Amino acid sequence: MSTPSLTHPMLPEASHDEMAQQLFIRDLKMWLGGEIEPLQGEIARKLDPGPSHNDRDAEAFARLHEEPAFRSWAGMFRASQEIMWDDIWRSVERQADALDARADAVSLGSLKLDPDFKAPAYLVDGHVHIMPGGYDLDAPGVKQGAMMDRGGAVYMLGRNGGFLNDGRGKTVLAHVYALYPDLAPRRILELGCGVGTSLLPLAQAFPEAESYGLDVGSSMLRYAHARAGHLGVAAHFVQGSAEQAPFEDGSFDLVFSAALMHETSAEAIERILAESHRLLRPGGVAVHLEVPSRYDELDLWSQIRSQVERDYNNEPAWQAATSADYAALMRTAGFKDVAVGFQDAAWAPAPGQGGFGSESKGVFRSWFVTSARR
Amino acid sequence: MPMECCRVNLPPPTAGRREITGLSVIEDQALSMIAALASELAVARERIDTLERLLDANGTLPRAQVEAYRAEGEAAQQREGLRHSLIAKVFRPLRDASRRALEG
Repeated sequence: MSTPSLTHPMLPEASHDEMAQQLFIRDLKMWLGGEIEPLQGEIARKLDPGPSHNDRDAEAFARLHEEPAFRSWAGMFRASQEIMWDDIWRSVERQADALDARADAVSLGSLKLDPDFKAPAYLVDGHVHIMPGGYDLDAPGVKQGAMMDRGGAVYMLGRNGGFLNDGRGKTVLAHVYALYPDLAPRRILELGCGVGTSLLPLAQAFPEAESYGLDVGSSMLRYAHARAGHLGVAAHFVQGSAEQAPFEDGSFDLVFSAALMHETSAEAIERILAESHRLLRPGGVAVHLEVPSRYDELDLWSQIRSQVERDYNNEPAWQAATSADYAALMRTAGFKDVAVGFQDAAWAPAPGQGGFGSESKGVFRSWFVTSARR
Repeated sequence: MPMECCRVNLPPPTAGRREITGLSVIEDQALSMIAALASELAVARERIDTLERLLDANGTLPRAQVEAYRAEGEAAQQREGLRHSLIAKVFRPLRDASRRALEG
């Protein structure tokens, strides 16, 4: 992060001291994860009620809360996240006018906001990643998107494409190349596009296509539009819900999501998959990428770790999204030949690389993907 | 004494922040304050390190001159601003907890 080679003009800058703050919190997070978390795993194994217990993971999670060492780790885990947001919020606030001026200079693509839009309750009642204000806050100008973008880069610890944070989008593209090499989309839609990190690799790979990003927050979308424009991409950003996208039936050739499901709800996952089917023309392709963990295959500590994310980092559907039977849900959504597996994380996706299989190579090396043609 | 000189907009509140079972609210705040203090210390040390390296490289500042320095006037005011923002950062959990208590 100190030598960002992969960056873009809309990214909030960091002053000398802000960079020191952000590097500190990144390193604190790495220390908590690398040095203290393995010890939590050992404690969890000691408290394991055993495989015969009918609620083994939840029971171990409850028992851990009686252990002060776990409580202090969990408290510091969340404190580090809250301090990260506080640092980044202050930095963005300091340069908000400059960011807005830079955003105003963009004329590529388009932005369509809906002043009457109401975000789903799961995003309003619990702000994902405990980001102050949440995804849907209508902050003035581009502030909320700027905070999300800079925060995402710090949170990802540089593992997902530096400040471009585009590893997931490139992996979606790699999957399209691997399984649907003949697809030449004219209209692309990302459900839950955030600040557009994943949409841009697709838009750049298919420059003839009209690329759309849909998400809930007006400030976030203003930023996404400006960010894309400054990267030379004419993308269209629309405010709305992935469960009820404001587009006509059959109006896209490629509909995808990138690590969206675990930030929704069990019910919303089903509705989003169905919505991706509705939005596709016959022959069009849906691709849904998620974190590579499958809940039932995780060891006890990793299961508990995902409950920590759910409860203390507001990843509301982490367990639902990593437990879902996507083959069945995709069929219920109307798809027939459904692919379910793992796509190798791709940094320079190109046709002919393959990289899709039934085994995960691990976090940040593989992503879970389900896909199908309508 | 209110810190009118350096009041900044507050970040928006965070919805859905759960209590960590068994961790007292005050322990929760204390952990966060300690982490914030460590962050402030890291930032200050990096800045001092930058200064000392540059000054040393330029051969411009004997250490004794640093030891003898006292801030006055505008410099003293700017230092006050630094102290106030340090306080606002380190003790943020107290403010957040009060806001949450008021919202609840």
